[in-house]
Amino acid sequence: MGTNTLFGIATGGGNRDRRRTIKRHWRRVLVATLLLFVASNAIADNKLVVFAVNYPLAYFAQRIGGDDVQVQFPVPAGVDPAFWMPDVAQVIAYQQADLILLNGARYAKWVDKVSLPQLKLVNTSVFFEEQYIRGDAGATHSHGPAGEHSHGGVTFTTWLDFSLAAQQAQAITEALARVRPEMAADFERRFAILRSELLELDSEMQSIGQRTAGKPLLASHPVYQYLRARYGLNLRSVMWEPDVVPDQASWVALQQLTNEHPARWMLWESEPLSDTQQRLTTLGISSLVFSPCANVPDEGDFLSVMRANLEALSSIFGPGG
Amino acid sequence: MISSAYIAWRYLVFNKARSATLVACVSLIAVLPFTLELLLNESERQLLSRAETTPLLVGAKGSALDLVMNSLYLDDQVPELVSTQVNDEVSESGLASPIPLYVRFQARGFPIVGTTLDYFDFRELKIREGRSLALLGECVLGSAAAESLGLNPGDRLLSSPETVFDLAGIYPLNMKVVGVLERSHSADDVAVFVDVKTAWVIEGLVHGHADLLKVRDSTLIMERTDQNVTATAKLTQYTEIDEQNIGSFHFHGEPEVYPLTAVIALPADAKSGTILRGRYVTDDKTTQIVEPTEVIDGLLQNIFRVKNIIDSVIFVVGLAAVLALVLVFALSLRLRQRELNTVFRLGCSRYTIMRLLGAEIAIILIVSAALVASVAGVVSYYDEQLVRVLFVN
Repeated sequence: MGTNTLFGIATGGGNRDRRRTIKRHWRRVLVATLLLFVASNAIADNKLVVFAVNYPLAYFAQRIGGDDVQVQFPVPAGVDPAFWMPDVAQVIAYQQADLILLNGARYAKWVDKVSLPQLKLVNTSVFFEEQYIRGDAGATHSHGPAGEHSHGGVTFTTWLDFSLAAQQAQAITEALARVRPEMAADFERRFAILRSELLELDSEMQSIGQRTAGKPLLASHPVYQYLRARYGLNLRSVMWEPDVVPDQASWVALQQLTNEHPARWMLWESEPLSDTQQRLTTLGISSLVFSPCANVPDEGDFLSVMRANLEALSSIFGPGG
Repeated sequence: MISSAYIAWRYLVFNKARSATLVACVSLIAVLPFTLELLLNESERQLLSRAETTPLLVGAKGSALDLVMNSLYLDDQVPELVSTQVNDEVSESGLASPIPLYVRFQARGFPIVGTTLDYFDFRELKIREGRSLALLGECVLGSAAAESLGLNPGDRLLSSPETVFDLAGIYPLNMKVVGVLERSHSADDVAVFVDVKTAWVIEGLVHGHADLLKVRDSTLIMERTDQNVTATAKLTQYTEIDEQNIGSFHFHGEPEVYPLTAVIALPADAKSGTILRGRYVTDDKTTQIVEPTEVIDGLLQNIFRVKNIIDSVIFVVGLAAVLALVLVFALSLRLRQRELNTVFRLGCSRYTIMRLLGAEIAIILIVSAALVASVAGVVSYYDEQLVRVLFVN
């Protein structure tokens, strides 16, 4: 009986798993079909179909392209686009695009693992490749004839330097104009507006950077390298996740870090768990969300999220902050 | 007339060996120039059509012929390699669109062509079954390759090691066949297409293995320091790429220096092509740019020079053979003197005897012509493959 029950449970579990897998599979097929449907509609409307690897690029493309482009960004909500891996149907949807916007700086490693038409790829950071910031390469490893190597490398959250973001937007404008030269003037006009908004953010952030006056700051994750470099923030990073309570070793490491880098604020990509916040508060460290906005925000758009980020920073480093 | 032909036919059938020898002689004399002409015309068509549709090729300095034959006809003579930087240079010039090629490896005797999806558009290759390349480790087969290997979408194909003596070399990659192309009547029919990154996986430049920083099996680790982890030979690299392990595949070193055999450059217009060619006319460049039609024209001139020599030889041999045939007939008449005298005494006129002999010769020529036509038909049917085997590969 027990065995039967166990078998029943096992079978039931297997069926559930299978059902879940089938459901997931169908969901993917549905999403891909939807993407292809939208893309084919765009083709029918003679719109340029543009796929992007992260939300900032999708936002820039939509702002610059306006109604003349159909921008697709198929990364599901809540997933970091840098570490997402599309399935075959999604890769095929990308292949159908007129343009595929890449961030450059080795962002979205999945691009290296799929087949995309090279002539449709647009490296949006082509204008500033020499300004890439090399990150901590991490531990190297050796095996086989290739010898020692590491999987660390270039840091990629380039758009947090708003001047670089403007250059990425310019690369998008040029790519769109190459495909649709007859619309180049419209693209240029919309780009000029976007550029001024991005440079306004840049100017504001520079002012905040000056106000920090080298005060130490912490980041929960090493994603703010371009923000630090451009705006002169005295920022050091740990490797914490907002939705995971750090283990004891992480707290010890933080204590050691704050001994030499006595920060009072820690930047988070999203709201951290309240337990983590409370424990940080006991150490005299307050939490502040500065969203990189790599994926579609729950509310607002790229610019409004960045303005909120700047307001939050400004509130602690404003006059008397 | 019919009775003469019948008697001549019976005579030839009775003397089978002699008749067969005569038919073989006549057929051989005729078949050689015919088939040579057919094959040369087909080779010219194949070589030129492929070359004419490929505007420019960039590769390492060295034999332009090797570069063109490898890139256009997938010849197994691999030219000197260039880096992907050459591809980037063409792209950044704004003068032409690049399509990278890495034609170095083979799978069960068929060339593996590492390229990008743009190649399929450029050559107007259509998928007949399955789908196009999407993920690392997948391959699409040319129609002849699929037919010969007996593979369909969903099957697996193992890459071949470069040399059989490379026992400690890179593991072969077990590629997933995801599609088969429509017949294109070109070298692409015998190709195994992979993404250029998959070709680098075959070379071992891109690979996947368990995360050494997380691995717990101590027998896999030779040495572990803060800065480096050295694995033992026990650490195996994945020889198949699937959804579970694709995330672990990574590049060794900078992809900008990864190898290619050539880059097809598609200039925006003739002026851009000329400017681009001008940029490679310097001595300090380690790369060259060639116009495949020029190289193939040179090759064809050589082929036709050789053809002229062969034609002369065939003419002389043919003349000798015709003279030999005349001699055979003359000797045959002498041998048949008694037989012909008997026929004459039976009441046949000299004219009838001449008719009998003429009918014999006519039948031999007709049978030979039929044989030549059959051989020419077969050669014409298989001319693509024959040209590829005889001239390209």
